[in-house]
Amino acid sequence: MKHKEGQQPYLSLKNIDRFFGITKALQGVNLDIYEGEVIGLIGPNGAGKSTMMKILTGVLPRTAGEIIFQGTPQEIYNSKVAKQIGISCAYQDLSLCTNLSVFENFAMLNMSHGFSPSAGWRRDAKKEAKELLEKYFPGNGIDVTRPIENLSLTDRQVVEICKTLMTENLKILILDEPTSALSVDKARQLHAVVKELSSKGVAVIYISHKLDEIRVVSDRICILTNGQNKGEFFTDIITQDELVEKTGGVPEKKEKEVRDFENCEDMVRITGYSDRNLSDINVHLKKGEIVGISGLAGSGQQELLHLIFNSRVKPRAGVDINGTVAYVSGDRAAEGVFHFWDIKNNILAANFDRVKGKFLISRKKANESAQYWYDKLKFRAEGIGSNIMSLSGGNQQKALIARGIASEADIILLNDPTAGVDIGTKQDIYALLDEIRNMGKSVILFSTEDSEMEICDRVYVMRDGFITKELKGKEIDVPNIVAAAFIETEKKNLAEKKQSSLSRFLGARWMLPFLTLIIIFAVNSFMNPNLATYMGLKMKINTAFPLVLAALGQMFVVMCGDVDMGNGYSIGLANCIVAIWITGSPLLGILGLILFIGIYVAMAALIHLRRIPAIVVTMGMQFVWYGLALMLAPTPGGSCPKWLSSFLKMNTPLVPQPIILAALAGLLSWFLLFRCRYGIVLRGIGNNAQSVERSGWNYMLAKMTAYAIAGLFVVMAGMAYTSVCSGADANSSVNFNMMSIATIILGGCEMTGGVPVPLGVVMAAIVMNLINTLLTALKMNSNYQTAIIGIILISVLALKYVIRRGEGGSRE
Amino acid sequence: MNKKLKNMLNSPILWPVIGCIILYIMICVVSGRVNVMVLTSGAKLCVFAMLLGIAQMIVVTSGKGAIDISQKYVLTLTAYISCAVMEKNIILGLVAAVAVGALCGLVNGSISTFLNIHAMITTMATGYIYYSIILVISNKVPNSPNGSFVKFINSSLFGVNSMTLIVVLIAVVLYFVLYKTKYGMNLHATGQKRDAARLAGVNVKKTVITAFVINGALCGLAGALNAAYCGGANQDLGTTYFLPSIAACFVGGTNAAGGRSNIIAVCIGAFMMTLMSTFLNAAKIGIGAQRLIQGIFIVLLLCAATRNPNKKS
Repeated sequence: MKHKEGQQPYLSLKNIDRFFGITKALQGVNLDIYEGEVIGLIGPNGAGKSTMMKILTGVLPRTAGEIIFQGTPQEIYNSKVAKQIGISCAYQDLSLCTNLSVFENFAMLNMSHGFSPSAGWRRDAKKEAKELLEKYFPGNGIDVTRPIENLSLTDRQVVEICKTLMTENLKILILDEPTSALSVDKARQLHAVVKELSSKGVAVIYISHKLDEIRVVSDRICILTNGQNKGEFFTDIITQDELVEKTGGVPEKKEKEVRDFENCEDMVRITGYSDRNLSDINVHLKKGEIVGISGLAGSGQQELLHLIFNSRVKPRAGVDINGTVAYVSGDRAAEGVFHFWDIKNNILAANFDRVKGKFLISRKKANESAQYWYDKLKFRAEGIGSNIMSLSGGNQQKALIARGIASEADIILLNDPTAGVDIGTKQDIYALLDEIRNMGKSVILFSTEDSEMEICDRVYVMRDGFITKELKGKEIDVPNIVAAAFIETEKKNLAEKKQSSLSRFLGARWMLPFLTLIIIFAVNSFMNPNLATYMGLKMKINTAFPLVLAALGQMFVVMCGDVDMGNGYSIGLANCIVAIWITGSPLLGILGLILFIGIYVAMAALIHLRRIPAIVVTMGMQFVWYGLALMLAPTPGGSCPKWLSSFLKMNTPLVPQPIILAALAGLLSWFLLFRCRYGIVLRGIGNNAQSVERSGWNYMLAKMTAYAIAGLFVVMAGMAYTSVCSGADANSSVNFNMMSIATIILGGCEMTGGVPVPLGVVMAAIVMNLINTLLTALKMNSNYQTAIIGIILISVLALKYVIRRGEGGSRE
Repeated sequence: MNKKLKNMLNSPILWPVIGCIILYIMICVVSGRVNVMVLTSGAKLCVFAMLLGIAQMIVVTSGKGAIDISQKYVLTLTAYISCAVMEKNIILGLVAAVAVGALCGLVNGSISTFLNIHAMITTMATGYIYYSIILVISNKVPNSPNGSFVKFINSSLFGVNSMTLIVVLIAVVLYFVLYKTKYGMNLHATGQKRDAARLAGVNVKKTVITAFVINGALCGLAGALNAAYCGGANQDLGTTYFLPSIAACFVGGTNAAGGRSNIIAVCIGAFMMTLMSTFLNAAKIGIGAQRLIQGIFIVLLLCAATRNPNKKS
């Protein structure tokens, strides 16, 4: 809906400046946003579009200028104000927690921050999520209880966009390259969504490099270059060519040269190749040829590129590679740039052999080589010594392409090299491809932009892992490619295997520790029938109880993506506080324990604020814990408080008390993490802290909470340990560190964070204890006991790896 | 000039050097006189933390949060091996210790990369296994050092201890390997982003395993030297050096996520850790307070040494 003359804008940016040091990212930029109008925002990479959106969402403060909301200038403008105004942004880098399910990701955004529990909130949240998805993308078939990591890229993008649409009082929606991973039909659905929102009075800012898309969606087009406004046009009065020209590109020439490669030698020949993702692939690449791969996103194009790249070292039947291969990725952040390095090393990364002197890398040769490419590719930077991260996306991409060519490989694979690259740089890249061809090299180009295929000599169009069509010379144009992309194939029926509830149950993370527990318990009780009695169980589990608590504490830290290397000594300190202070003067002791938990919280704050790796901080803290414990108890001594030992030795009916306590500790953690609302946040931070923050939660607070819980578990472990050894010893609990880490791994947690398995951890802790009992019962030389634990640990993880590989999780 | 100053302030060498100066002044204050002997004996004492610190740095630089916590066991194991073999031949004993260390590294690296197990968990598990081996062999093999080897490591050339010379020489060689050869560049690339390195044609697995092998070999050398220095091998030999070496590694600005290292800063960091224990001994305070001060000092130094992420470099 176009705005009317004289209408008051909902929000205006006036003369906005934003400087980073001496770099002027934005200079006097203006943007008026009217209710219900769709603004197409275009411009080259590094033009300042992202910076502008960050100022609009309040993530970045402005250096100068005014932000006017409904006629009143806003003095203070931060993300909170932006949220009140109703601004919401779907980010280019997906901002979802992949370990959480779809509905949990939604819930994080709109659930109440209060602690008041309400029964059935999960059921309501699931229903809401389902309705939301169905409303905007009918027939999507996404299971809202599945974790994001199990969804396809397209589905993730759909979820991401829907999450943005959830904002209450949505007034301004920002979509940053929303269709980069969407198929044509999903993109159409999105365009319909934009239309509907606009008719409801929501303003939409649509950022895209795809000009035809911008022309379909937007009412007004706004061009930004070099941090300045370059003009605004109503979509209906500007032509495509004019747009291309305005954004700094030269309109493409249309004439096409048809070359003949019949008599050239084969560089790649794949005959009848099939695997999990690819079916009956027949592909060849001649010397000097540029071959395109096209089709709907996710039809097997990337897999084909990886097949060719991997076959250079690992020969496969049916795949012949005749030469060296270089790979240029368009996913710069994940598989492209080396972020600590300058432009020079990033260009030379595949090429160090060629700049070698006698033994060492020659600085002169390296500089010359890098400078050659730097000049040739017309980088926009201070020099070859600039850090790669200071460049815009397009310039980073140039460095990657230079890396590919500089490696002097015969075959160059390009995986969507122009993703998120502005038109000017795209033209540079096309020119470069022509030059590569003239050097006698061969190129395989995969692109999500169909029009890009027109520079190729030949194009394979893929669908569902099959090659449905081969286009040559003059046949290559967008309509032909689109038509071929929809040719039906005899689809293999393994793509969307619905997980049955049984296989989900058997594949649960706590299954492995559970089975191990049963087996090892059975063997143990066979060797020693006394174990299976009330007293036997009570004694056995009682000795395992400190480890249960220690491991649960470790689990909360690991869940944040950290690790506590100091808990061996911190349990020792808790042990000393309990056995000496609490026994002597309870008040002092309780104060000490509160302070103790306070140190854990402070550790979390320190790790967050200074961004120091937790492993390093907690290792340093070892000395602190140990020192304090030694000062408290220079020699072993003290005693267990009476009330504590009598409580822990209480006889409960039927089930021995330690089992009840261990199960309770596990269940409590489970309830906190998987049934309470805040549990979503706690699990989220270990996976994608940024997403949690964008959903309006405080990351540092969540981390501090997790550490406080961990500290609490350490204190309880210290208490249980005091009761087991009935005294204080600063030294004897050191092993809890390694043991607790081993336990949580066995329990099914992931060291990378975000995957706590409380019940698995409890069972694994008991398993660890029973292993030792078993080894003793087997009269195994005690010297071998530690080795057995090591071997079990490696075997379990190896088994996990093999299983996961079998399921086809691995990409390589 | 301004830029030079800025570079200096950003250099990872800065904080360990400041730490050394502060500690030296404190030692002088506590002992009541300026004593150069402290520095020379420090240079001799710090070689073990230095070898382990450099070794750890190489593993950490290989990325993905890799860290080797089996170092202390490898050191102890090779200490026994060196004592046993040196009964026959000194050189052979040295070679055997380094070779066994490298083998341990090969095992660690292979398990971690081929089975895709986090390096910390891998080395924890293998550490358990090495410890069992130590327990089994400790009462079966001779554990007193070869007399002439002891004499050698206590000898000095131009007033510098021979162990210090050896370790400095190794550090210099490794400096060139890490920053001036293809392997070093590949290691740093792998550490920054393994996927990117693989797609740039780097053999990531080989690079990581090699890092572990170098690490193991250095631990082996440290084991042989340490057995001679301590007058024989014992079961807990390595424990003393584990934390100081890790502290040296990170105080020296090694990026814990991998991909960035500075061998000079790590060496100075190891020297600093040795000065710290000298100071704590000289100050004659209780062992508990010693540990506490040590811990606080390390944590503070780490806060200072870690580059502030809010500032753009």
